[in-house]
Amino acid sequence: MAKLADPVQVKAIPSARKRALHRTNAIGWLFASPWAIGLLCFYAIPMLMSIYFSFTTYSILQPGEFVGMNNYRDLFHDPLFWKSIYNTIYFTVFFVPLSIFFGVALAMMLNMKVKGMAVFRTIFFLPTLVPQVALAVLWMWLLHPNFGLVNGMLANIGIDGPSWLGGEAWSKPSLILMSLWGIGQAVVIYLAGLGDIPEEYYEAAQIDGANWFQKTRKVTLPLLTPVIFYNLVMGMIGAFQQFTLPYTLTKGQGTPANSMTFYVMYLYENGFRYFKMGYASAMAWILFIIVMALTGIIFITSKRWVHYQGK
Amino acid sequence: MRRSKKFAFPILVCFLVMLLLVTACSTNGGSSDQAGEGITTVTMWHGLTSIDLDNMNKVVKAFEEKNPTIKMNLVYTESNEGSDQKLLTAVAGGNPPDVALFDRFKVGTWAAQGSLTDLSSMAAESGIRKEMYYPFAWEESSYQGKLYAMPMDTDSRLLFYNKDHFNEVGLDPNKPPQTIAELEAAADKLTIKEGKRFKRIGFIPWYSQGWLYTWGWAFGGEFQDAATGKITANDPKVVEALQWMTDFGKKYNVEDIAGFTSAAGTEEMDPFISGQVSMKISGNFTVKGIEKFKPDLNYGVAPIPTPTGTNFTTWSGGGSAIIPKGAKNVAAAWEFLEFLGKEEGQTLLNADSQISVIDSVNDKYGYKDDPIMKEFINILPNSHNRPVIPEGQLLWNELASATEKATRGNGTPKENLDRVTETVNKALEKYDK
Repeated sequence: MAKLADPVQVKAIPSARKRALHRTNAIGWLFASPWAIGLLCFYAIPMLMSIYFSFTTYSILQPGEFVGMNNYRDLFHDPLFWKSIYNTIYFTVFFVPLSIFFGVALAMMLNMKVKGMAVFRTIFFLPTLVPQVALAVLWMWLLHPNFGLVNGMLANIGIDGPSWLGGEAWSKPSLILMSLWGIGQAVVIYLAGLGDIPEEYYEAAQIDGANWFQKTRKVTLPLLTPVIFYNLVMGMIGAFQQFTLPYTLTKGQGTPANSMTFYVMYLYENGFRYFKMGYASAMAWILFIIVMALTGIIFITSKRWVHYQGK
Repeated sequence: MRRSKKFAFPILVCFLVMLLLVTACSTNGGSSDQAGEGITTVTMWHGLTSIDLDNMNKVVKAFEEKNPTIKMNLVYTESNEGSDQKLLTAVAGGNPPDVALFDRFKVGTWAAQGSLTDLSSMAAESGIRKEMYYPFAWEESSYQGKLYAMPMDTDSRLLFYNKDHFNEVGLDPNKPPQTIAELEAAADKLTIKEGKRFKRIGFIPWYSQGWLYTWGWAFGGEFQDAATGKITANDPKVVEALQWMTDFGKKYNVEDIAGFTSAAGTEEMDPFISGQVSMKISGNFTVKGIEKFKPDLNYGVAPIPTPTGTNFTTWSGGGSAIIPKGAKNVAAAWEFLEFLGKEEGQTLLNADSQISVIDSVNDKYGYKDDPIMKEFINILPNSHNRPVIPEGQLLWNELASATEKATRGNGTPKENLDRVTETVNKALEKYDK
């Protein structure tokens, strides 16, 4: 990858070949044009327009008027906006590390050489095939405070289970629990990452007398960091955009007591139910900045803790 | 030669893609008036299924027989109380259907956005008058004195109570509670609690249709000042209602009740049907479910108790038909709306399903002789509708959130309702210009 971008290489191309390259480029663009036009019309332009809309009182049905920074100023005085940020960060802070921990742990277990491993891998991947809405309904029953399976099992061992989705204290942890159920996708990526670690390292560690724990700490985890890094970034972005699950669970109300009002839910509410699309656009751009900043921080720190093989 | 060949294929591909895009767009757009000589096609978007769709088809059939020059084209679009994104996009894009079915609750919001056709003059010409309908139905279809929607059906909320449970604890099953005090006493007797778990709950004020609207009006409060149009969610009577709900919650411990309210099932798993709740506030729309899932449930319905045991009231919502701004065949669309709103259309539309907005039609259905349905019909003349304001959804959400906060001890009822009033009135300011 890096070599292609090397300017010296490009200069070395003789002029005749350069023309040919131009021609093939043109054909390439022609082929790509349906996609490029689509991307511009349905993605780039609306996205840029939303920057403008965030400074207006645009309501979809009416163009609205230019109000400068008013939307942003109002947002900072909107208690529900702060509540939704709190909820979203709460979710992200707990869900992302937990998903990495359980994802890696599961992947390592599923990487053992045991008979019928394909079956186990399938079992852990299956939940990701369940649509989010179905997942919400399913877990509503599992977590039902009085008749749910979870509290039923807790009662069997003498624990009086909480009201889960019904209580302010437990609603977000319940959601994290539900989301963790669907980490199969990440596990598959970790499995691929594990498969990438050459056997020789383990052999060398074996000869040096390393035990399982030392091998995990010194070989597996460092060499898995590129994959963890990827999942961390994607997981964080996904967590900030949490929508379908809480929206379905609470029918868009964020109950109980707004403890399930997530950022994108509130954004949607403003845009499509209160017709405050300008306000919603402002929220979208604030989210964009937050996510960009956090991604940037992760990228900067990644130099210290991500170890690529062959470097 | 070689070069042109090289370009021919990609150009062809591009051309085909363009062609596809162009045709895809145009087939959608011009569907309105191409049905033949002198025939106008009226496109209607609806979200009807099963019996309601059958009924609508009957209405359309009868209408087309009477109006041979108009052809109705029914298009199913996913639509519900919360989202009308498809209609929203169509109206914003200037290419809406001629008629759309629409929750009356949203009339205020959409009318304020200038997205609905004013029907007042057409209604006056066709003899569609306010007196034909229940007062709330007309009220909720109008915004600032102008008619924007044709009311189609309605509902009402009452107290459902399980007669077997009443017998079991020694309450008279033919004398449902009428006052708030009687309701509390009955709830107390009916509740069976073991530790933190309820084996049976007598009553939960905010469960099912026990919104603050329900109780606020039952306590004699008003949510909107009739003269100024300002929101009065902190009306002392409404505060009193919320205070009562809060106290009720405290008595039984809110967190313990939350189990029922947040995760309670619907349909056949409805806790009222399964006997886990003895009394609830609910609407006529759950009667069908009881018939279907537990036909032998021994229950009755009664007006929602009030502090005095008099002045019973409730509130109603329901569907309507609108003509979006920018519709191409307004005149023909109105013909259909008129048919829908008059007795013949109403009779076909709501048969075996909903409550009509015309009293005589409900009479014709025999609702007034049915021991359950008659209660729902009898209360209608005194029923309320939610304030028709541009921020109806905001008010709804704010009230729901205030109820939740207050009952969970997060601020007093007064504080919460003051905040609702302030928030909504502030949001309404920009429409006053």
